[in-house]
Amino acid sequence: MSRAGKTQPGRLVPVQDDPVTGGFWEAARRRELAVCACRDCGSVLHMPRGRCRDCGSWNVGWRTLSGRGRLYSWTTVEHQVHPAYPTPYTLVLVEPEDAPTARLVGSLPGRPDLVAGQPMRVWFEKVAEGVLLPQWAPEAGARVSA
Amino acid sequence: MAAEADGHRDRCAIAGIGATDFSRRSGRSDLTLALQASMAALDDAGLTPADVDGIVRCDHDLVRHNDLAEGLGVRNLTFWGEVGPGGVAPCAMIGQAVGAIVSGQATTVLAYRSLNGRSGVRYGMAPLGTDHQLVGGAMSYDELFMPYGLLTAGQMFAFMAQRHMVEYGTTSEQLGHIAITCRARANANPSAQMHDRALSLDDYLAARMISSPLRLFDFCLETDGACAVVVTSTERALDGPKPPAVIRAVAQASGPNVQPGLMFPVLTRPSITEQPSALVAPLLYERAGLGPDEIDVAQLYDCFTITVLMQLEDYGFCKRGEGGPFAADGELDLGGSLPINTGGGHLSEGYIHGMNHVVEGVRQIRGESTSQVPGAETCLVTSAPPPGTSAMILRAA
Repeated sequence: MSRAGKTQPGRLVPVQDDPVTGGFWEAARRRELAVCACRDCGSVLHMPRGRCRDCGSWNVGWRTLSGRGRLYSWTTVEHQVHPAYPTPYTLVLVEPEDAPTARLVGSLPGRPDLVAGQPMRVWFEKVAEGVLLPQWAPEAGARVSA
Repeated sequence: MAAEADGHRDRCAIAGIGATDFSRRSGRSDLTLALQASMAALDDAGLTPADVDGIVRCDHDLVRHNDLAEGLGVRNLTFWGEVGPGGVAPCAMIGQAVGAIVSGQATTVLAYRSLNGRSGVRYGMAPLGTDHQLVGGAMSYDELFMPYGLLTAGQMFAFMAQRHMVEYGTTSEQLGHIAITCRARANANPSAQMHDRALSLDDYLAARMISSPLRLFDFCLETDGACAVVVTSTERALDGPKPPAVIRAVAQASGPNVQPGLMFPVLTRPSITEQPSALVAPLLYERAGLGPDEIDVAQLYDCFTITVLMQLEDYGFCKRGEGGPFAADGELDLGGSLPINTGGGHLSEGYIHGMNHVVEGVRQIRGESTSQVPGAETCLVTSAPPPGTSAMILRAA
């Protein structure tokens, strides 16, 4: 929440009404994780786009995912480059189990112990009025300690 | 296709090179820097602005082709072109120049890169418009990345380094060998920003973490400066005052999963530890009729140490996954099988977005480098890997 008169930058907020990525944010507002996919051949289209690169179909839309995934890579950011993103925080790159080619980004506080392939679960973070950010956290009870 | 594959082989050459000083605060405009580097390159080639009929630029340059032409006093430009995004450009810029010359659209082409990368626009900084919290849209796809705090190229390459460690057991020490090798070359190069600053492996490991597993010295410098080169036909270059660096072959490649957008979408390619360099390499080698064993010295694009390590594998200097041991075994040193970045590279000479690699490649072919590889006859020069890349092989006449 930014107070009137303050010029300190707040968290970066995604453009939600882009014609090709808007569906991602629309689903997030329903607390659903969705990826763009071809309705004809089934290919996952990530980055989202209006035409299937595999079969050429223009019949593309949004597919709701389970919200479970596996950790592909990560980095703990120690050097702060933006005032609204205090360090340390850890960026994660996650492969959804039902659309592994649609790698998605998330962020965790601090410097968690992480292992490649560990189960991750989506959750939704409110970053502004009407803006829910799909986030990823280690699956509860499945944490692997280093 | 073989007949076409060598269509431009050896037909053009770099006849002149120019560079400004590399600093943290040039005190000059991007255009002044570009003019200084361009005039130096023309002087070096024994030519004048009146000889120039072609200009190629990088899409990230603030200096447009017409700015440079006007500033130089070029009289009759018949060709101009642009390549990008960003650091992908330099070898592809040479490729455009070659294409223009071989096809008869120009005879003398200037390729340049100028930036106040420290005192002006700093690429390592996050977008900080105080009232502009909204990010993405307009086909950038930044909305899927930046709201999480994924804000810089360094954080993106850190994902790649971490994954390389997961897949192949690559270590920080191995990355460190790349940093200290480039630093040692800079220590011999009076023009390098890090000329006076020694760097040991202990210094490297003790430096602060920026975005794990990448530490301070895994990151390149930020530099104010410019480089320019003059490309012309080999026949004409042979009449010039300096030995020409013949362009044996040049290539660009994107691969099937090039990904749209500016930068971060490359994180969704099937592998983030293999770059489009793996696709440009066979094309370049085929066009050159040469293989990795015949490369005497290389100027590898080094925005980060991990970028070099992946290219060692992609260009076939070692097996996939063995870039770390290859670097740690001293193969990149002056006495090794593949001396790299002999001016110091982006890590320690300066960051001219890949263009100082082109200039240093020419110096090696001429025998003018401050870390000359004895008898070097071939030099591989590469530009930035994601998304898509370009590379070339220079050779002595």
